[in-house]
Amino acid sequence: MRALKNSDTKLLRSEKKTFIAFLLLYAFFSVVILTFIAFLYYNFQKDLMLQKKREFLQNYSKTFIPKLKKLHRNFSKTHIYPTDKDIRTAIYDSDRVKIFSLLKVKPDLNKVLYRKNREIHFIKEPEEYYLGAKYIVFEIDDDGVWLKDFYKKIIFYGLPLFVLVIAVGYFLMRLFLKPMRDTLLLLDRFIKDTTHELNTPVSAILANIETIDRQNLSEKNIKKINRINIAAKTISNIYQDLTYLILNHKLQKEDEDVNISNLLKDRCEYFKEIAKSKKINFIFDIKNNIQIRIDKNRAVKLIDNLISNAIKYNKINGKIKITLKENFLSVKDSGIGIKNEKLDKIFDRYKRFNEISGGFGIGLNIVWMIAKEYNLNIEVDSKEGEYTEVRVSW
Amino acid sequence: MVKKILILFFGVFLILLSAKENIYQRNCVKCHKNQAVSLDKLFYRYLLKYSSEKRVKQALVSYLKTPSYFKTVMPKGYINRYGIKLPTRLSDKELKKAIDIYWNKYKVFGKLRVK
Repeated sequence: MRALKNSDTKLLRSEKKTFIAFLLLYAFFSVVILTFIAFLYYNFQKDLMLQKKREFLQNYSKTFIPKLKKLHRNFSKTHIYPTDKDIRTAIYDSDRVKIFSLLKVKPDLNKVLYRKNREIHFIKEPEEYYLGAKYIVFEIDDDGVWLKDFYKKIIFYGLPLFVLVIAVGYFLMRLFLKPMRDTLLLLDRFIKDTTHELNTPVSAILANIETIDRQNLSEKNIKKINRINIAAKTISNIYQDLTYLILNHKLQKEDEDVNISNLLKDRCEYFKEIAKSKKINFIFDIKNNIQIRIDKNRAVKLIDNLISNAIKYNKINGKIKITLKENFLSVKDSGIGIKNEKLDKIFDRYKRFNEISGGFGIGLNIVWMIAKEYNLNIEVDSKEGEYTEVRVSW
Repeated sequence: MVKKILILFFGVFLILLSAKENIYQRNCVKCHKNQAVSLDKLFYRYLLKYSSEKRVKQALVSYLKTPSYFKTVMPKGYINRYGIKLPTRLSDKELKKAIDIYWNKYKVFGKLRVK
């Protein structure tokens, strides 16, 4: 198994996901709260500005109403409406019908002081209805100085505040995740150390068996050595499978053009002794130089699991037919087979259909995971008591 | 022929118009022209108190049909001196016509302008 990525310094994938989800949620609520505060501040600033304008317009109304009164008294002589260059006015009767208006924006007579479409309206009800006017509306342009000031403050204070809130969220999240992260790292290190410790002696056994000079050994000892070889290979396979399942997300992946034909032959050679122990014969129909783009270790895992399953669930004196063509690989045993109704669960993890043969029920799950990773199709055909064929196509 | 018809129509129109104004002139202007407060001043008093066209007309109808000390827009001194007028003898329809003419004559709508 190749070296693992340096996971100690990087966040775990699940941790990263949680981290991002939390930060997004935190940022969202922070934005909502900050927007609400900004909205309150905006209204406060607007009210402050309106109060200043009210004072100004109130004072102006004190000069305007007498002019209206004068016009009312002299209406038979003059119809000239009093005006001002900065302040526009309008008069409405008690039924809210417009008598005369110089306004840019239609007023809302239910309010007293408000801002609408960049105009400020102040509505005054005179003591007497001069010219029938129950409502006198005063309108001035909003210069927008207060709004610019508001935006400036939002940018200068709001943005740093937002960054600060996010930073606090980030540190809080790290603080909350620390115990979980420490535990995960501890577990991670423990699994790595344990698997490493397991791999070293198994590799040593396998390497030493390969170097034994079998010519000087008696028939009896060769048999013993073969059994040791098979046992060690079985442990090695279990180790490889477990490592793949546990550390899959951290195993390095280097896709390359793999000659599946040669790889398949190598792996069959590897399993030769184990197959021999059950007197199983391989039948090959392998087309040479078939290549697919895949990570070599994953290809080995896929082939190993198909072959080891075919051996494990085969009969004594059984056969395994291995076919490799341009676009598919098929491993067919002459074993116990699987009931049709159970076929759809064959790739579930820890699912075993035969308690006698042992195993963890992870082999075909690994095959399924690798196939999914590389978009390969898997089909299983089986007849109980006769055969099981697994076909991987690409 | 066409000329005659046009003259006839114009004549009828003038007759109708004069008949309309006559209600107001005959029943309102006739008496008020000799009074201390002219009709326009009276109108602006109503406007000052009732503001809208609807309310002014309602107040006028109400006062003219059943004049009372409590309904008048004139000051106490004026009423003490000249008293309360008699109720109108006009029908509702005629009274409405007369008031409409009165409103249109003195209304503020459409008359105001800026310098």
